[in-house]
Amino acid sequence: MTDLPLAGFVAVSAVLLGIGLFGILTRRNFILLLIAIEVAMNSAILNFVVFGSYWNSISASSVEGQSVAVVLIGLAATEVAVGLAIVLALNRSRGSINVAEATTLRL
Amino acid sequence: MTGPLSVLFGWAFLVPLAPTLAFVVIGLFGRRMQRLEWGGWVAVGGALFAMVLGVLIAVGEMLTPGSYTDRSFQWFTLAGSGTGAFPNGFSLVMGTLVDPLSAVMLIVVTVVGFLVMLFSIDYMHRDSGLPRYYAELSLFLASMLGLVLADNLLQFFLFWELVGVCSYFLIGFYYQRPAAASAAKEAFLVTRIGDVLFLLGIFIYFQQFATAGPALGWAAAGFPFVYHSAPFLAGIPISNPTLFTIAGLLILGGAAGKSAQFPLDVWLPDAMEGPTTVSALIHAATMVAAGVYLLAITSVFIGFSATDQLAIVAIGGFTTFWAATMALVNRDIKRVIAYSTVSQLGYMVLAVGAGFTMVGLYHLFTHAFFKALLFLAAGAVIHAIETQDLFKMGGLRKTMRVTSIGFLIGGLSLAGIPPLAGFFSKDDVLGGVYLAAQSHPLYWPFFALAFLTVFMTAYYIFRAWFLAFSGDQPRDSTLPQAHEPPWTMRLPILVLSALAVVAGLLAFVPQFGGLFAAGARFPPTPGVPPSYSATDLLLSGVSVGLGAGGILTAYTLWGNGRVFTLDARSAAQPIRRLLLERYYVKAGVDWFGLHAVYGLARLADFFDQYVIDGTVHGFERLFAEFSLRLRRIQSGVVLDYAAYVVAGLAVFLLFFFVIVPAIPALGGG
Amino acid sequence: MIPILSITLATLFVGTLATFAAGPRARYVAAAVSAIFLAEIAGMFALFSAPALGLALPTQFAEPESYPWIQVAWLHVNYTVGIDGISLVLILLTGILQAVTVAYSWTEQRQPAAWFGLVLLTCLGCFGVFAALDVLLFFVFWEVVLVPMFFLIGYWGGPRRRYAALKFFIYTHVASVTMLVALLVTAFYSHSASLDFASMAASAQTLALPTQIILFLSLFFGFGVKFPIVPFHTWLPDAHVEAPTGGSVLLAGLLLKLGGYGLIRWALEILPTGLQHVAPILYAVAFASIVWGAGVSLAQRDLKRLVAYSSINHMGIVLLAIALYSSLGLLAAVLLMFAHGIVSALLFMVSGSVHHTFGSRDIATVSGITPTAPVLSTMTMTGALASLGLPALISFPAEFTALLATWDKIGFWVLIPLGALVITAAFYIWMMQRLLFGTPKSIPVGAHDLPYPEAFAMGVLVVLSVLYGILPNLLIHFIQLSPVAGLP
Repeated sequence: MTDLPLAGFVAVSAVLLGIGLFGILTRRNFILLLIAIEVAMNSAILNFVVFGSYWNSISASSVEGQSVAVVLIGLAATEVAVGLAIVLALNRSRGSINVAEATTLRL
Repeated sequence: MTGPLSVLFGWAFLVPLAPTLAFVVIGLFGRRMQRLEWGGWVAVGGALFAMVLGVLIAVGEMLTPGSYTDRSFQWFTLAGSGTGAFPNGFSLVMGTLVDPLSAVMLIVVTVVGFLVMLFSIDYMHRDSGLPRYYAELSLFLASMLGLVLADNLLQFFLFWELVGVCSYFLIGFYYQRPAAASAAKEAFLVTRIGDVLFLLGIFIYFQQFATAGPALGWAAAGFPFVYHSAPFLAGIPISNPTLFTIAGLLILGGAAGKSAQFPLDVWLPDAMEGPTTVSALIHAATMVAAGVYLLAITSVFIGFSATDQLAIVAIGGFTTFWAATMALVNRDIKRVIAYSTVSQLGYMVLAVGAGFTMVGLYHLFTHAFFKALLFLAAGAVIHAIETQDLFKMGGLRKTMRVTSIGFLIGGLSLAGIPPLAGFFSKDDVLGGVYLAAQSHPLYWPFFALAFLTVFMTAYYIFRAWFLAFSGDQPRDSTLPQAHEPPWTMRLPILVLSALAVVAGLLAFVPQFGGLFAAGARFPPTPGVPPSYSATDLLLSGVSVGLGAGGILTAYTLWGNGRVFTLDARSAAQPIRRLLLERYYVKAGVDWFGLHAVYGLARLADFFDQYVIDGTVHGFERLFAEFSLRLRRIQSGVVLDYAAYVVAGLAVFLLFFFVIVPAIPALGGG
Repeated sequence: MIPILSITLATLFVGTLATFAAGPRARYVAAAVSAIFLAEIAGMFALFSAPALGLALPTQFAEPESYPWIQVAWLHVNYTVGIDGISLVLILLTGILQAVTVAYSWTEQRQPAAWFGLVLLTCLGCFGVFAALDVLLFFVFWEVVLVPMFFLIGYWGGPRRRYAALKFFIYTHVASVTMLVALLVTAFYSHSASLDFASMAASAQTLALPTQIILFLSLFFGFGVKFPIVPFHTWLPDAHVEAPTGGSVLLAGLLLKLGGYGLIRWALEILPTGLQHVAPILYAVAFASIVWGAGVSLAQRDLKRLVAYSSINHMGIVLLAIALYSSLGLLAAVLLMFAHGIVSALLFMVSGSVHHTFGSRDIATVSGITPTAPVLSTMTMTGALASLGLPALISFPAEFTALLATWDKIGFWVLIPLGALVITAAFYIWMMQRLLFGTPKSIPVGAHDLPYPEAFAMGVLVVLSVLYGILPNLLIHFIQLSPVAGLP
């Protein structure tokens, strides 16, 4: 990994964030929205991993980046679980998973 | 000096305390005192005690003249802070001061007070609310005695206000009559104007004397009335004479309010809405004299500047004339006497202003008795026939012999017919002013007005006497049958008649006269008792002639039941209407109160509600409108929120990476 | 040494909780708490009178207690309490008004536990304000006062209670936030070692003059709204008209005093230079309040509104006396606050009793009540006469001192408050003429004189008015035991 330039990884991460944001702003389907959020989140995780590896190459004992990445992966999984639960509830109550229609918190 | 009665000076505080106790007892238990005339006899008891002790103290003062103080009760103590206006602080006390001035007033207040209380027992018997009446009358007596014995200006002011509020309640005794409630209000407010001026006068004296060298100790001691060889203003160098002149004018303002001097005279005739006994005690003999007493003590202890004196002379002299004119035409027996009170108070003020303080006090002394007599006699008439309208009366001489003689003696005394009391004191006033005018030419017009008033005085009081008592029978036949009053009313009339005869002559008794001429401590007061030089005799002769002329005129027009009617087309009709309308002053005052002051207040209220609070509501609407609009962006659509987040992020980035580096000051460069 | 202030605070706190929990018996608990509070105040007076303590004054606070509260590197907040003569007298007022409010509302039927609990909580807050000597502690108590008053007006109030309660809350809250920010800025800009009063009073003198002036003006606004000063006064009449009687008593008797006390302790004593430079502004505001309050009172038909506007007038005199920056003026200000506390409480009780005896407070309709209700009428007269400054009643020594101090400092300007005295007399006398005297009108059948608890509460206030009117030294002596007694 050390051969590849840091800038390349950051660029990939930025592209991922862009895709994610685009998805968040344009998708109305809840599941697609979740996927877009997941993509954006993965861009952050990628950053953590890349910079963690970068700092690790300088001072050998640093593993914070990797550990945060692991926590974030867990967080992403939780989020998807909660999100899908909302999707199911939404689908059951309204018969649609279009987020633009779900404007009230009341069921 | 100690005399047989000196021991009493230390007990002077009991004089006001006795009626105070009566007030408390009647106030708490008066409703259950049916057998004591609902507290009436308790009040008489308190007044009797005060009279006995008060007169004894006055006699003690005659025997051993001097100034005796008791200053043991600390009222208001201010620690000095070493700097500022009152570096040594001051300690105001509620004390008692027995000196010649207060001795004279003690006699007046306690004697008239006791007699009026006694008179009230039967006079008021038919009224309801008697516990209130006797409680308030007792409190009034106590306050008046506290004022008389006051040891310093602030204590004086305290009782001065209490006296005023008692007067307010007693004028409004028949509070269910709108006229009475209104008159009480008017009395309180008009005198209040004077009180405020008086208070400012006190401030000026306190502040100036607290830093004026020789009087520094005087301030620390709480500004007691103490005798120096001369009044303060004559005795110490004054750094700021204008200020003291203003202070003197302010004191005059206070006195004018209480003593109903022009232009604050409007309330006293209206105060006749109260019971006649109240008029006799408060609005003739004692309280209204407090203003004169204030001028007297100020002139004795502090002193007036020449400008002040001219102002006092002007106010007094003009009021004498002004009030007398309005008495000429009035139909109401009490109001005629009320105007005469205002006029006579003018004489006293005139004397004090001209520098003859003790002469003014002498007239106050005699006036108290003959004026109380006139009022009580009028009260007996009103009690008997239940009307105050002179034109309905007539022929009462036959049915009310004692009363008619009492009124006659009072009238003669008021008219200044020798050897009755009023003759000596009024002549003394005129003689004094005549003397002063020799060196102060500006006094002449006021001397002339006062002299002219002698004629009017005799005329209006005898007009009243002839209308009420002469003739064969009442002009209004529907009136109840008149009868002579019971002994509780006859006795005060008899005693006061006797006093109205001898009070003037008393001054010729050396001990008593000594009260009015107690050595060099007072401003020069020649004339008490009056001395009769050739000029004085001439003046006396002319003034007695004027008085007799007034009586004769009254007899010609009104004697033996005649009723003089002014021709409807007479040139004097407008004057008559002007006088009946009280020079339209009353209407002006009412207009000012109702339209000017109340109108402004309404305007202010409108402004408060619609402009000030309207602005507040405007802001309220502005914010409400703004938030209503702002609320629309909270659509509930998740995608919108996501867009806001992204936009927020964009702004954030823009700020930190573009704008901040562009500004050197923020960039840390 | 006995930590009497903390003990008092603890008893009030426990007592308030107990009252909330006591259900229908709350009034007995509240009465007991009031009695204990009064006993503790008596204890404070005794400690002040003890020569060992009394002579240590007037340069320091008595009964000081200080414990660290929040300690971080740049912030030192302490629990500091202490009192001087000024606080002592106002604490006495708190105790008196708490007791008479409980007595007056003895027969309160709606949610008595909450009612008495909130009354006690208001007084707890006031006591805390008067005793606190740390900015944050002061502010906490200051806000504690607002909340119960909001509910007292908002739940027990008249028809427009929600409007009035909200207006009251917003006005005073904006003001108190301004005040807090100004105090914190003072502390941080002057690098005060802690937020304690003493530390701030010392360090604030190092601030530049313009800073001091701006900070003082902010504090003046913050405390002034509570006074209230014209033109930020319109919350007061609305709050009073809608508030229940007990709420009005506390509002006029205590809450307005918080403004005066705050201005003395936290503005005048901390930024004296600032005050001296803007004194003319304060005079102008005070004159406006005095004249405006008196003038608008004259036009009122609602008895409660009338008394409310007269409060603006009286508090204007308090402001004037404070602005004079002299020992005489401060003495007058504190005396006047005490007097106004007693007298306005009495007058608001009168308004409340008139309202529920005769069904209306409109003095232009209800008239001639004296034959029906002689005791109520006597109370009304005493209150009105005391309020218009009749000697031998409580306000006179205070007004006399205030006006003497005014004359001494700014000369003939004193004619403005003196003239207002005549207007004050006019509206009270006219009110008495219309309400008490004249032909009875609009008297409902079966109207009766005061019930016993109300008569008792008012009777206590009348007795106090007379007592302190005749013996003002009972207060003056203590007020002078204060660090500010040494002003010129």
